[in-house]
Amino acid sequence: MSLVSETTARPAAGFRVARSRRNVAWTGAAALIVVVVLAFFPYIVYSGTTTIVVQAFIVLTMASMWNLLAGYAGLVSVGQQAFVGLGAYFVLILALHGISPFAVLPVAAIGCGVVALPLWWLVSRLRSGYFAIATWVLAATIMLIIEKFSSIGGGTGMPLPGLAGLSPALLTAYTYWAGLAVTVVALAAVYLLLRGRLGLVLTAIRDDEVAARSSGARVGLARLLVFVVAGAGCGAAGALLAISQLQVQPGAVFSVQWTAEMAFVTIIGGLGTIEGPILGTAVYMVLQQTLASYNAWYLIILGLVAIAVALFARRGLWGLVDEHLHVRLFPVGYWLRRDGERPRGLRRPAKPREQRPG
Amino acid sequence: MTGPLLELDRVTKRFGRVVIAEDLSLAVGPGQVVGIVGPNGAGKTSLFGLISGDLAPGAGEIRFAGRTVTRLDAAARCKLGVGRTYQVPRPFGDMTVFENLLIAAQQGGGLRRRASYAAAVEALDRTGISGQANVPAERLGLLQRKRLELARALATQPTLLLLDEVAGGLTDPEVAQLVEIVRDVNAAGTAVIWIEHVVRALTPVVSRLICLAGGKFVGDGDPATVLAEPAVREVFLGTEVTAALAGGSLEAGSEVKGDGAVGGERSNP
Ligand SMILES: Nc1ncnc2c1ncn2[C@@H]1O[C@H](COP(=O)(O)OP(=O)(O)OP(=O)(O)O)[C@@H](O)[C@H]1O
Ligand SMILES: Nc1ncnc2c1ncn2[C@@H]1O[C@H](COP(=O)(O)OP(=O)(O)OP(=O)(O)O)[C@@H](O)[C@H]1O
Ligand SMILES: [Mg+2]
Ligand SMILES: [Mg+2]
Repeated sequence: MSLVSETTARPAAGFRVARSRRNVAWTGAAALIVVVVLAFFPYIVYSGTTTIVVQAFIVLTMASMWNLLAGYAGLVSVGQQAFVGLGAYFVLILALHGISPFAVLPVAAIGCGVVALPLWWLVSRLRSGYFAIATWVLAATIMLIIEKFSSIGGGTGMPLPGLAGLSPALLTAYTYWAGLAVTVVALAAVYLLLRGRLGLVLTAIRDDEVAARSSGARVGLARLLVFVVAGAGCGAAGALLAISQLQVQPGAVFSVQWTAEMAFVTIIGGLGTIEGPILGTAVYMVLQQTLASYNAWYLIILGLVAIAVALFARRGLWGLVDEHLHVRLFPVGYWLRRDGERPRGLRRPAKPREQRPG
Repeated sequence: MTGPLLELDRVTKRFGRVVIAEDLSLAVGPGQVVGIVGPNGAGKTSLFGLISGDLAPGAGEIRFAGRTVTRLDAAARCKLGVGRTYQVPRPFGDMTVFENLLIAAQQGGGLRRRASYAAAVEALDRTGISGQANVPAERLGLLQRKRLELARALATQPTLLLLDEVAGGLTDPEVAQLVEIVRDVNAAGTAVIWIEHVVRALTPVVSRLICLAGGKFVGDGDPATVLAEPAVREVFLGTEVTAALAGGSLEAGSEVKGDGAVGGERSNP
């Protein structure tokens, strides 16, 4: 093994950089088919089913945001319900002014992103446990402030106006499509974010913050961006929640249970992977639908699942899939191919030749 | 550029009672290659921390490329041209070797996508880890991790390269190759500060040697002269350098201390 390889003299030309090891055209096509099939759901399944899928959309959107925070930016927030609640109230307040809740959805998302800026200023100087507690306190404070305004329902909340004109079937279908749109946009945003320059920065921060800084990564700026995006995403989920429940209650929309759900789904699915929250949401929804009638047992089984994943699948269920099947639905990596190399080298584990440090 | 590239102006740093730097002043010119030696725990690595922005000084000022950088963080200093390696390698484990270099080229080097690819490939080739380009960094062994450290620092396109014991554990031919790399980098105008226990690695490249002990520079100047100074010899008393000096084989290839890379490192970064 030599420090200088024979290639030193060669100019740094003759290479190609692929964003995935394998051809991923089929993944893109499959994703498109899934979205199209999902778009036709209101025509082919009962409205009870679409209602459940809307719940899944809400959970998936929120979990993807929490994953971005905790799995990439190292920000374990326990206060994301602040944005869920604010998103819901954006819809309520603007609906009270006669604007259609569906039209408010994007406004609520952007609004929550904007609100995230001053909130970041408040919590950004804190780390780990302190950050978690601060976000929680912040969410509780925001709820208490909102409860002071009786014009928007005070502490009891109020029903969402503006949707009475729609027939129940149409309302269910519109809600469903809105949910699908929010989820697709949220996942696409996460994917594009991680595929771009920021993706490398976030992964580096997650792996070693100190080394990331001294390699030029603006850690604070990256975190701020993620916090804003996650705020917007959770805001959109909250807006969707308001529309799907047709009412906004402060205690419900600002419940810490939302963050618990995000964390559970992300962790069992696989923290720090785009696919993790998707798989986690699927598992969570199945558990919820099959066990919800057993009340106490439902919670016990959720707990057991979390423990089992923590013990036997440290990288979540997607980690298991990745380990055995080597698939990536959302390739974000960089794959270097030199001219004159076999085009599709399999990524075999290179055995460490020397002992590891530490 | 006129004036020094890097200037430490009466910098003081303490960890509790451990004195890292006591009223320390240092000027390094553009393109200069400086070696730093000193006993274990003298504060050599911490000095790099002060320069790179990982550590904040208790007092004093640090200037780089004509700007006061005392209050700038590590990312900002890296963008200005300070590239560093870590004594205990700190790779981004989940990322491939190539990706480790890409982020350095894009963020530290400020390069756009296409240019960052080329810079990363160049750093790979220079340090001889091209074969591992697509391997996750966590799978690398220690020596390869050290190469990755060097490659990543180079990928940030530094005008000042800080090398922290990159030669420890290398065989003689490997040390010679490393020296070639450093010469190469320096020939392109990059200044280098190189901390090393393996003095035989330093002597062929450095024009200036500094010995750090007790928060002060006990020797600074021509390598042979510095190593012959009584104060420096006193610092190393009882270690191999005394024997080496007695044998008169200083420049030829003596190690200041007998520890290799693995044994001499603090395992907690
Ligand atoms: N009120 C605010 N609105 C928007 N952004 C803010 C606000 N306050 C702070 N920030 C940004 O939040 C980030 C966190 O600031 P801070 O300096 O504490 O973090 P840091 O980790 O040291 O960041 P950096 O690595 O960029 O120096 C910074 O990028 C800062 O610009
Ligand atoms: N973050 C820290 N907090 C407290 N003490 C520290 C810290 N970092 C280093 N030290 C102490 O400062 C002293 C100098 O450490 P440093 O790593 O800079 O020495 P060094 O000259 O690089 O040593 P070596 O030759 O072993 O690499 C040591 O006693 C170390 O224990
Ligand atoms: Mg050291
Ligand atoms: Mg800062």
